[in-house]
Order: sequence, then C-alpha cells, then structure tokens
Amino acid sequence: MSVDLANYVALSGVMFFVGVAGVIVRRNPLIMLMAIELMFNAANLALVAFARAWVANAGHVFVFLVITVAAAEAAIGLAIVVAVFRRAKNVDVDEVASMHG
Amino acid sequence: MTNETALYALWLLPLAGAIALWAFGPALKRGAGWLGSAVVLVSFVLAAALFGAVTGGPGGVHAPLVTWTAGFAFGLQLDPLSLLWTLIITGVGGLIHVYAIGYMWSDRAIARFFAYLNFFVFAMLTLVLSDNVVGLLVGWGLVGLASYFLIGFWFYKPSAVAAARKAFVINVFGDLGIMYAVFALYAATGSIAFADVFAKAGTLSSGLVVAICVGLFIGAAAKSAQVPLHTWLPDAMEGPTPVSALIHAATMVTAGVYLVARFAPLFSSSPAAQEMVAVVGGLTMVTGAVLGVAQWDIKRILAYSTMSQIGYMIMGVGVGAYQAGVLHFFTHAFFKAQLFLGAGIIIHALHDEQDVRKMGGLYFRMKFAFWAMLLGTLAICGFPFFSGFYSKDAIVYGALEHGHPVLFLAGVLTAGLTAYYMFRMLFVTFFGPYRGEVPDEMLGIAPQAQPAHEEEHGSHAPAWLMQAPVAILMVPTVVAGYVLWGGAASPWYRYFGSTFAAGENGPLAAPLVPEWASTLLVLALVTAGIVVAYLRYGAPAARADAVARLGREAAGMPVALRRAFWVDDLLAALFVRPLQAFGELIARTLDPHVIDAGVRDFAWLAGALGAIFRRLQTGLVRGYALTIVIGAAGFIAYFALLGGAK
Repeated sequence: MSVDLANYVALSGVMFFVGVAGVIVRRNPLIMLMAIELMFNAANLALVAFARAWVANAGHVFVFLVITVAAAEAAIGLAIVVAVFRRAKNVDVDEVASMHG
Repeated sequence: MTNETALYALWLLPLAGAIALWAFGPALKRGAGWLGSAVVLVSFVLAAALFGAVTGGPGGVHAPLVTWTAGFAFGLQLDPLSLLWTLIITGVGGLIHVYAIGYMWSDRAIARFFAYLNFFVFAMLTLVLSDNVVGLLVGWGLVGLASYFLIGFWFYKPSAVAAARKAFVINVFGDLGIMYAVFALYAATGSIAFADVFAKAGTLSSGLVVAICVGLFIGAAAKSAQVPLHTWLPDAMEGPTPVSALIHAATMVTAGVYLVARFAPLFSSSPAAQEMVAVVGGLTMVTGAVLGVAQWDIKRILAYSTMSQIGYMIMGVGVGAYQAGVLHFFTHAFFKAQLFLGAGIIIHALHDEQDVRKMGGLYFRMKFAFWAMLLGTLAICGFPFFSGFYSKDAIVYGALEHGHPVLFLAGVLTAGLTAYYMFRMLFVTFFGPYRGEVPDEMLGIAPQAQPAHEEEHGSHAPAWLMQAPVAILMVPTVVAGYVLWGGAASPWYRYFGSTFAAGENGPLAAPLVPEWASTLLVLALVTAGIVVAYLRYGAPAARADAVARLGREAAGMPVALRRAFWVDDLLAALFVRPLQAFGELIARTLDPHVIDAGVRDFAWLAGALGAIFRRLQTGLVRGYALTIVIGAAGFIAYFALLGGAK
C-alpha cells in the first residue's frame, strides 16, 4: 500500500504554517522554539517524501543535516533563553527589546 | 682584505655606528661618543690605506653595488677627487667626533648626537663615493637630512627649530635642481654612471648642457650657501659647535665645490655655465666678507667667513682652475675646523656666551684657545707660509689666468676684508678688558630670552679631550698648503694627474700681471686689513675704552649690514609670505568649505539614512518573523505566477 505524494506535501505544508503561526503569535520563547522545530520537520517530511518518490538519496542526506542543525539550534536557543531569563526575570520576547532602534 | 672590501667597509662602518648608537646608545652613556668616534677613525684608516691603490693606477678603486637595468647600475668609486673628500670627511670628521665627546660631555642626549653625526658621515660618504648621478643625489638629500637633525639638535630652542627648518627647505629646493639635472642626464645619455655620462657629454646640445649645469648649480648653491641661497648658513649656527665645524664648515657645505669639480667635463664644455658659477662664487665671496665685518656672534663671524671662503672655491672651480678651488677646500677644512673648535672651547668655557662684545681679555684666561684661533686666523687670511696663503693665491691668480680680471680684483679685495674681520674678532675676543660683567645695554646688545640647556652638572670633561683634536689640526693648518710647492710638478698636481685633463680650459689668457705681482697685491691688502683691525680694536687706545667703542659701533651699524642686505626679507617677501598667504587662503576657503564640508556631508547622509532605517528595528521578534513570511510569500508568488521555473 502506498500513500499519494500529494498527501505528504499537504501535511508538510500544514505543519509548516502551524509553525509559522506559532512563531508569530506566541510570546513565550520556549513555545517559539518548538514552533521553529515544527517548521524544520515539515521541511524534513517534504524532503523525505520527494526523495522516496524520485529515488534521489540526496534528500535523505539533507534530512540528517537538518536534524543536526536543528539540534544545535535548539541548544543555542535554549542557552539564550536561560541567559535572558537570568537578566530580565521574565520570558516574554516582546519585553526583551532593549536593542531596538 | 681586498680594495673593494675595504671600500665597502669604510662606507658602511659609519652607518653601522649610527644604527648601533640609535639602538644601544643611551645604555652606553659617554661610551657612545667613543664608539661613534672609533668607527669614523677606522673609516679614515681604511681610506688612507687605499691611497696607494687610487693614485697608483687609472680609474682608482671601483666596487659595484646593485644593477637594476642596463645603464642603471649603482656602485662605489674611489678616485683622486672622492678620495680627497673621503679623507677629509673621515679624518677631520674623526677629530671633530673626539672633540665632541668633550663638548657634549654633560648633554643628556649625547648618544643621539653621535648617532646623527655618524649618520651624517655615512650620508656624506654616499655623496662623494657614488659612481653615478642617482647615488650622488641620494647622498645629497641625506646630508641635508643629517644637517636638519643636527641644527635642530637642541630642539627645545625655538630658534634652533626654525633654523633647522629653514636650512632643510632651502636645501630641498636645491635638491630639486639636481633632480631635474639627473633626469635630463639620464634621458639624454641613457645611463646614470659618471663614466658613461661624461663619455657622451660631447654629443649633447649646448642648450641642454647649460640647462643641466644650471640645475646642478642650483643644488650646489643651496648646499654651499651661495648668494642668494646662503641665508640658512648663519642661522645654522644654532646647532652645537662641533656640528658647525664638521657640517657647516669642513665638509657638507663644500659639497657644491665637489659637484662642480665632479661634473667638470660638463661645466667645461659650456662657457656660459662656467661664467654663471664663477660670478655667483665671486658675488658670494664678497658678500660673505662684507657681512662678516658686521657680526658680533663669534660663530656667525665664522659662518660668514665660511660662506666667503666657499665663494672663493666656487669661483675657482667656476673659472676652470679646478685644482686651485679644490685645494682651497682642502686647506679650508683644516683651518676652519680649527677656528670653529677653538671658538667652541671659548663658548664652552664661558657657558654658551657667543657674543664677542661680552668677551675680551680671554688671552690671559685661555692661552691654548688663543693660539689655536691665531693660527686659524693667519691661515684663513692668507698670511705667508700658512696653508690658506697657497690656496687663496692659486684661486685669485687662477681667475686672472682664465681671463676674469674683475673676479681677480674682487678676490684680492675680499682677501683684505677677510684679514680685517678675522683680526677684528681676534682682538675683540682676546684683548682689552673682560666685558662679561658689563651690562648688555652698554654694549648695544638687544635683550633676548634663551632657554637653559638640559645639562647634567657634576663632572667636567678632561681638557685634553677638546684640546688634542685642535692641537692635531694645527699641523695641517700651517703646512697643508705646501703640497703646492714645485708648481706644475707639485704633489698636488701629480695627485690629481689626469683627473681634470678634460676639465681645464684650453688656452689661458695672457695674465695682466705676473704671479708674483698678484701675490704681492694680495699680501698688501691682507696687511692693510690687519693694520686697520689693529688700529680699531687692538691698539692700546682702542682697548682702553673698548666698551664705549663697541657700544657705539653696534649702535651705528648700517641697517643694510644689520639686515644682511635684506636677502632674508627679500626671500620672505617673494616666497615665504606669499606661500603663507596662499596656505591661509586654503585654510580659510578650500579646507573648511570643500574638503571638511564633503566629509561632514557624508557623515550627515549616513546619519540621516540610519534615522530612517532604525525605525525597522522594533525589537519585536514577531515583526521580523512576519517580514520573513511576507518575503517568502512574495518569492513563491513570483515563481508561481510568472513561471520562474521552466
């Protein structure tokens, strides 16, 4: 049994826009990081789906690359969140805007 | 050691000394003076050792350095002319170095002083040893730089700084003349080597030769203090006295004589250029002597006498009597160095008093300095059997021989003036009452503020350190002229051999008077000068009321002499003030309204753009994310709607 490529792409698109909405709407940096993670994985899903459909293994390789980068990004992002929390005593990204022009 | 190695070594040793003194001098303290003197004296020994090699065969010693392209090769060349200069630079220079150890004994910056002195010796050797016009120009520029350093050595004196700057600017003007001459020579002959240039000198058009000679002579006139570029030399006396003796009497200021003698084949092929050199030399000779009469500062008297004597030399090489002009350089180096060093002993003992009106009676306090000054004075006056007698006589008679009766008369007259102002200095300094305690106003001295020297007191230099070099110089001061004994077969003419064969003017004019008459005429005027000086300053009646007489003379000094014939004022009016006015105009208009305004406007533009774009930097992460989304949507829309992909 096989699932049509269009379904994968549609799911990927939905996931991506859920992630985008999360980043834009939410103010908690932890939730925003999770939303970003969602966008990564939407892209991963699309890559894997296309790779399978067209039998092009480069897509698989890219997924591993994205997972690695996402892990690094999460580590740095969380470190920043912790550092900001220590200074500002709150985790609202709109309040952390002392560098604005 | 081969001859070439010795030549490299004697050239580079002073440079090594200068670098070592710059790097480690302050740690050596007074040892710096000994190191500086030692390298120059070793150079002298090496140069003396090469004497036989130079006089033995044609061409002398030649040592290549680097070759860039064909015709553009650098090298060192030791021929009779450059050997003579090298021996004086390192020999007299070495003695002055030793003297300077005593003179600068209590100066904190003695290491810097000797570093500069060694650097000067290296630069001067570069000038005379170069076998090509470009190397000569490099040395020419470097001696100007060394002179600048040393005139302004006491840089906390504003007058010394001003004098250094003036000397440098006038000399750079002269360097320009030489530079253009060098360009023209290279363009015309395709080579920078003296040998090639002179071999092709005959093929150049006469107009080009005159142009090249004028360019060269502008440089010579600036360096050798010829009218009207002489005004820096009296001011240069702001430097320490050993500097005046070495650079502004014995060596650097005679570079112009070297230049004309070196380019003898070129100058000799152009009567117009020779005439110019001779006339400027004669004019300088007279001007220097006349102004020497009106000076009160012992070093300025000597400075004007230097200018006058270099006038003699330039006149000598100008009329074509090259051996005579160069001989006067040779004897002058000894007696003028001796006079300056003797004056230095006096100045040192009187704690930097230089005004002869404040001296007097010093014969009883400093007998050694008196005898040194007396011998030097007799030599410079051309007193019989002293060195200057032979060289000055040769130049004066040479002018007549080569068909310049007016210059001959000027030379005779100047000899009388020289005797007058030199004995005036001698009588006023050493005889009559000591006037050091007499108030300045009574002697007609204008009040002036002088900043104190930065000196370490406590120890004094041993007297022999300053006396020994002067004592050694006494010997050549008396005997140096004897090289001319024997006429055409004399050691002097044999030494130069064929050096000036091409340079000597062919047929000589029939002299108006025979040589013995010329000599007698000079002697008569010299005697007259000495007698007048004695009556005015040395006779018992003159000594008795010396204070009143000197005060009267100072007050009654003609303005023309006091202002040195307004040459400084003329140069200031013609060049200095117009340039200053131009500079101020630029500073008021172009600088603030164009250059500064341009920079300010760019800064304002950057600020204005920043003020607009800073509004985008809201600090709200959502805003940035939304911007990215909109951008991405735009991209997708572009490709989807317009079919970016094929």
